[in-house]
Amino acid sequence: MKIAVVGKGGSGKTTASAIIARVLARNGAAVVALDGDTNPNLGLSLGVGVDETERLVGMRQALDAADGEHASDWDSLLDLFGSDGPDGVRFAVVSQIDNPEPGCP
Amino acid sequence: MRVAFIGKGGAGKSALAGTFARLLAREGEQVLVIDSDPMPGLALSLGLPVTDAGIPDDATVERQAGEEGPRFKLRPGLSASDAIERYAVSGPDGVCLLQFGKLREHVGALMRSQHAFHQIRQEMPLDRWHLIGDLPGGTRQPFFGWARFASVMLVVIEPSEKGMLSARRLARLSNDGEEAPAEILAVVNKARHEDDAARIEARTGLRVAVTVPWDEELADAERLGEAPIDAAPNSAAVQAIASLVNQLQTGVLP
Amino acid sequence: MLGNVDPADAIVVADLEAGIGTLTRLGDGAVDIVVVVVEPVPKSMEVGTRAAAVAAEKGIERLVIVANRVRDAADLDVIRAAFPGHEVIVVPDDGAIVEADRRGVAPLDMTPEAPAVLALSALAERLVPV
Repeated sequence: MKIAVVGKGGSGKTTASAIIARVLARNGAAVVALDGDTNPNLGLSLGVGVDETERLVGMRQALDAADGEHASDWDSLLDLFGSDGPDGVRFAVVSQIDNPEPGCP
Repeated sequence: MRVAFIGKGGAGKSALAGTFARLLAREGEQVLVIDSDPMPGLALSLGLPVTDAGIPDDATVERQAGEEGPRFKLRPGLSASDAIERYAVSGPDGVCLLQFGKLREHVGALMRSQHAFHQIRQEMPLDRWHLIGDLPGGTRQPFFGWARFASVMLVVIEPSEKGMLSARRLARLSNDGEEAPAEILAVVNKARHEDDAARIEARTGLRVAVTVPWDEELADAERLGEAPIDAAPNSAAVQAIASLVNQLQTGVLP
Repeated sequence: MLGNVDPADAIVVADLEAGIGTLTRLGDGAVDIVVVVVEPVPKSMEVGTRAAAVAAEKGIERLVIVANRVRDAADLDVIRAAFPGHEVIVVPDDGAIVEADRRGVAPLDMTPEAPAVLALSALAERLVPV
């Protein structure tokens, strides 16, 4: 089951995503929360804290910059970029944050 | 002046940039607003209706086999200045708005216009207009093309942890960029507490040029889809933006 | 990327990049439900209506509109009018969310009984019933 949350920046996507993820996890599902935003703040809304959010974003940034290893499969994605959030939600920052994409919206 | 408003989505870049541009234009200045966002927003803050109109496909030609460079470029005979004269939309107080188009369907539909837009930005004369730009919320775009000609980057920050997290990242990026703009300042937006500016300075390392207070009148204007300067000209927020214009004009920065 | 992710039995909640860019690039079958979060503000609704149109075009099974920061009936009317025939969930304007954001903590932890938190929790259960 894959749920995508969309909207204008600042409309409340991230807050909504975080609550949806944690409530579904509390109800017994194995939940993976993915942060695809170029301003990755999902960690904060999930409740992992400022430091951990920054750590994960920084790590992602460094890997992107070095054109380092990108996860090719599910488990390695979570191993490389993931973190365990509250209520057992596994969460990963998946955006290519600082890579300029020439002309792409 | 050449000012780029950057920051996380929802921080209020469009409202600030649009109001800033109108205020500057009211002083008789020639102002060109450059909208790089594939989603509509800035036009409303300027007092224009939502428009998808941008740079039409016939403004560009495709690269020939064997030719170097980007896939699409402005057609021969169409200079960046010409393109601006042709395709920028005129708004209230004589402000001009240039955008490449707005996204409705698949991303490819905008490819040609984006190429044109990028080339226009690279080649446009920098002394003919004041340039005000509002860059989409992501942290990628500011440092691809904009750093080249923004003389001031204003990082719009809401006093929340999310806002500060994004701002810190942007501040770091702008210092790492190859072609760093002359000045990077913070604009605190939607401030509700007296210590918001100080907190943001401490956490981001950026100097705060102005603090724009949380303003119910401005929020109402946004809800109505009106330009803050038209719907709430005497609001505290608009006054704060006016003082920002003044600061940048006089060069007296904090 | 979403197209490659399919952990058996897990639920993936993806907070996509602001705007509709990523949505337009999604392949067939990449998502089961699209949640469109909109505020009763024209700029937000422009993005939301475009997102709904793209989702419909892609044949996405279920589309849910979240009317966020709704202050009154007028706000809700504006959103319902923009999304006729769609499932609309209301999340009220809530100072508790603003405060949680200010502090950088999860609203679910700080104020679990706040109206917006309750509304979003109910939404979760509506999306994937227990």
